[in-house]
Amino acid sequence: MFDLDEFIAYIQAVGAAKLFRIFWFFVVFEFFRYVFIDFVVLISWRVKQYYDKDKLNDARAQMEFENPLVSIIVPGKNEGKHLFKLVKSLREQTYQNFELIVVDDGSDDDTPTIGKTLEKNGFIDLFIRNSVRGGKASAANLALRFTKGKFVVHLDADCSYDRDAIEKIILPFYMDEKVGAVGGNVMVRNYRESLVTTLQAIEYYDTISIGRIVSSHLGIYRIISGAFGAFRKDVMDKIEGWDIGPGLDGDITVKVRKIGYDIKFAPDSVCLTSVPNTFKKLSRQRLRWDKSIIRFRVRKHSDVFKPTQNFSLLNFFSFLENITYNIILNIKWYVYVIDMLFNFVSQIKFIFVANIFLYTASNYLKYIFFYPFRPRQNAPFAYFLPYLPLMVFYFGYYLRIVRTIAYIKEYFFKASYKDPWNPIKTSNKAKEIGI
Amino acid sequence: MSKDLTSKPLFGENFVEHDGYRYYIMKDHDMVNLSELIAYDAIIIEGTSAKLIEERVSNIRKNLNQAFFLIPVFVLKGNFSLPIYVEELIDGSIFSIDQVNLVTPIVHKIHLRNNEVTINTALSYEAQLISKTLTYMYSRELNQLNAQLHPNSGIGFTFPILSVNFEPKEEFRVLEILEIAEKEGVLISEFHDRTHLCSQCHTGFLAYRECCPKCGSANSESQDIIHHFVCGFVGPISDFQNEIDDQLNCPKCTRTLRHIGVDYDKPSVLHECFNCGHKFQDFNVRAKCVTCTFDNDVQQLIGREISNYTMSKKGEMAAINGFTSTSKDIEDIIGTVKLDTYRTMLKYEIERIRQTDGKSNICAIHIANSGQLYSKIGSDMQKSLLKDMVELVRRNIRSSDMITFYDSSTILLSMNDIPLKVGQNIISEICALIEKLLKTNFNDLEVDINYNIKRINFKLSNELQIQQVIKDFYPDV
Ligand SMILES: [Zn+2]
Ligand SMILES: [Zn+2]
Ligand SMILES: [Zn+2]
Repeated sequence: MFDLDEFIAYIQAVGAAKLFRIFWFFVVFEFFRYVFIDFVVLISWRVKQYYDKDKLNDARAQMEFENPLVSIIVPGKNEGKHLFKLVKSLREQTYQNFELIVVDDGSDDDTPTIGKTLEKNGFIDLFIRNSVRGGKASAANLALRFTKGKFVVHLDADCSYDRDAIEKIILPFYMDEKVGAVGGNVMVRNYRESLVTTLQAIEYYDTISIGRIVSSHLGIYRIISGAFGAFRKDVMDKIEGWDIGPGLDGDITVKVRKIGYDIKFAPDSVCLTSVPNTFKKLSRQRLRWDKSIIRFRVRKHSDVFKPTQNFSLLNFFSFLENITYNIILNIKWYVYVIDMLFNFVSQIKFIFVANIFLYTASNYLKYIFFYPFRPRQNAPFAYFLPYLPLMVFYFGYYLRIVRTIAYIKEYFFKASYKDPWNPIKTSNKAKEIGI
Repeated sequence: MSKDLTSKPLFGENFVEHDGYRYYIMKDHDMVNLSELIAYDAIIIEGTSAKLIEERVSNIRKNLNQAFFLIPVFVLKGNFSLPIYVEELIDGSIFSIDQVNLVTPIVHKIHLRNNEVTINTALSYEAQLISKTLTYMYSRELNQLNAQLHPNSGIGFTFPILSVNFEPKEEFRVLEILEIAEKEGVLISEFHDRTHLCSQCHTGFLAYRECCPKCGSANSESQDIIHHFVCGFVGPISDFQNEIDDQLNCPKCTRTLRHIGVDYDKPSVLHECFNCGHKFQDFNVRAKCVTCTFDNDVQQLIGREISNYTMSKKGEMAAINGFTSTSKDIEDIIGTVKLDTYRTMLKYEIERIRQTDGKSNICAIHIANSGQLYSKIGSDMQKSLLKDMVELVRRNIRSSDMITFYDSSTILLSMNDIPLKVGQNIISEICALIEKLLKTNFNDLEVDINYNIKRINFKLSNELQIQQVIKDFYPDV
């Protein structure tokens, strides 16, 4: 059916112009933007890091001198089973001047008992139990209300943290006083568990992590992962905490940006998380994430595109880049598929294979060339190599389809308001006033 | 009954006689030794204050000697009322001494029943108290021993005739004794109430406070936490309040909160400690002991059931035939003889002296604070205390001399064929040794030892000589 010689002959036969015409999507979006630009930015980031060496040392000295109180907040429902492991791992942190506040958001398991016991024994500074669930935002806000620290670090109970994670996530605040929030680097702990988790590990490792280094360096970094983020307390007070989710991780950073603060990514502040281990669970998670892009970027914060008095060029670009990457790119891909089907239908077989080949090659290129820029491995270098070709299907088809479904559901049906992730009472109110 | 209730009472200096019964009139602040009361059939306490009366009645009723604690007691009342538990310890009140003819039938009945009872001779304090309680109940035809709330009781409840034997601080032992009595089948319990006692001193006068789990301070304030759905703001209600009106406005989105459950709710309550600033949701309930000031965690408190008791048929039989405990009695202590044996031997000695003009002595050692002491230590320790005492006495007297227990706090011994003076020296030395020994063996227990020694008089009976040697040990009331 498929003949390799025929394929090579075909490639040789078409000229450069024709090749671009056929593989424009790959050349423009994939290679130029996500290999070439990223690589250039990464080099520039390294150079800057080199020249900022003294500044980093000063920042570290300043932080050590000041020894600020860090308020670690852990909101969540039914997280009791993870709490003891979490407090034990926090005791291992190199930075120890922190208070730990846990909010139990209406758990229906033995979380209250566990939390209260840990509080009684001094492992948790404050344990607050909400007998009725209010949703992640309200739980985080409740915790925030009782923080005493200069910085607030938001953690997930089921994640684990490198020994120097807290120290490293606070450090950027001392590098630049315009920094209002810092995102930690989330890596996949259970990457060996199943094919799904392995593919996600590569995604976190290659796209998310590297992507965030790049966007942070460009000043357009936009999502602080809910599993690990640090905020200046005074900034949080100004923006009055989290608004209701889903997608509050992205929402809070927009709010921080809007009042004129920078957001930084701290690649060397590492947190390990367990990702969904089946495609079904992963789909559910991604549908929620993708819906929130529409709900928060397009709907709630659309004013970023309007030239109002708070207009910021960086915010504009950050949004533009975000929307381009997520929405426009998604639409463009369908345009490309249609373009190919209509204009090159006879060669579609070759084009399909060639695309896979090109993407795979670029994946290997990225994997190898970006290697020196990664702060830390969570798996042996060779472990992911055999899986890289599969990433084409994971990224190019699976995630794209999920994303499309999410966008349609949210844009036309406002599906996120029905998400059980939030209590109905809060979703109803949010929908009523259109946020 | 041939008694003539209308006959006129006969007045003496400090007594009144009616119908063959002699009533001792105990005047205000007039101290009298219990032993002097033995000649009377009943006591009338004249008092100006309830407190003084309570004190005197208690002194009579807590004595271990049957001759005293069963004696009918009446109160000549002034214009004050007695607490109910004191009323339970007396046999009636009169309002003038002329009314003595009204109570004579009561005295008569009590004496009839007193003649029926047998007091137990067991050494164990628990057994003695059970026996005391049963005989008193029988003597007064009481079937019930009920718990009464009582502010001055160490455990908050008093069983008057039993509790009178204890200082408030030791009153928790009343519950132990009742438990034993129930196990022995002489009392039948019925649930009445439940109480909690201090883990340190076992008293029940506790001040419960809701405390900060961190520092234990009771100085705190509570606030509702409000969650505003629309903006996700969560905070104490004070964040939403203003000084002008009663409206609640969200500090984050300025919207007015209108309807609980629709636009806001109250997911929790938070308390703030003013002492250490700690914020918390669950108070630590602590119980401070008013007696010893120990601040108990409520989980530490000793929970006890308080019951009311009914005397069983077996209890009644025990009052009549003497109560013998199967579980708590202290068996014969090595080196002693039974009281009856001692009596017989004394009789022979008196006879021998009459014929040989010898010089022999009868001698008694008495633990003056035995009630207080035993109520504190329990029967196991009481037994080893008595053992130690006997052992020491035995080592310091001749092997031909005899030792016996007159009661649980009094030892009788013979010192034959030695002059009184020598005997006195020996006995005083023994007592000093006993005090020292008990102090070291029992953790600084204050033991108050009295002794008495008398030369045997061949003109007097053995029983009378025994009474004479122990007579001085009775307290004043
Ligand atoms: Zn609000
Ligand atoms: Zn406190
Ligand atoms: Zn106490």
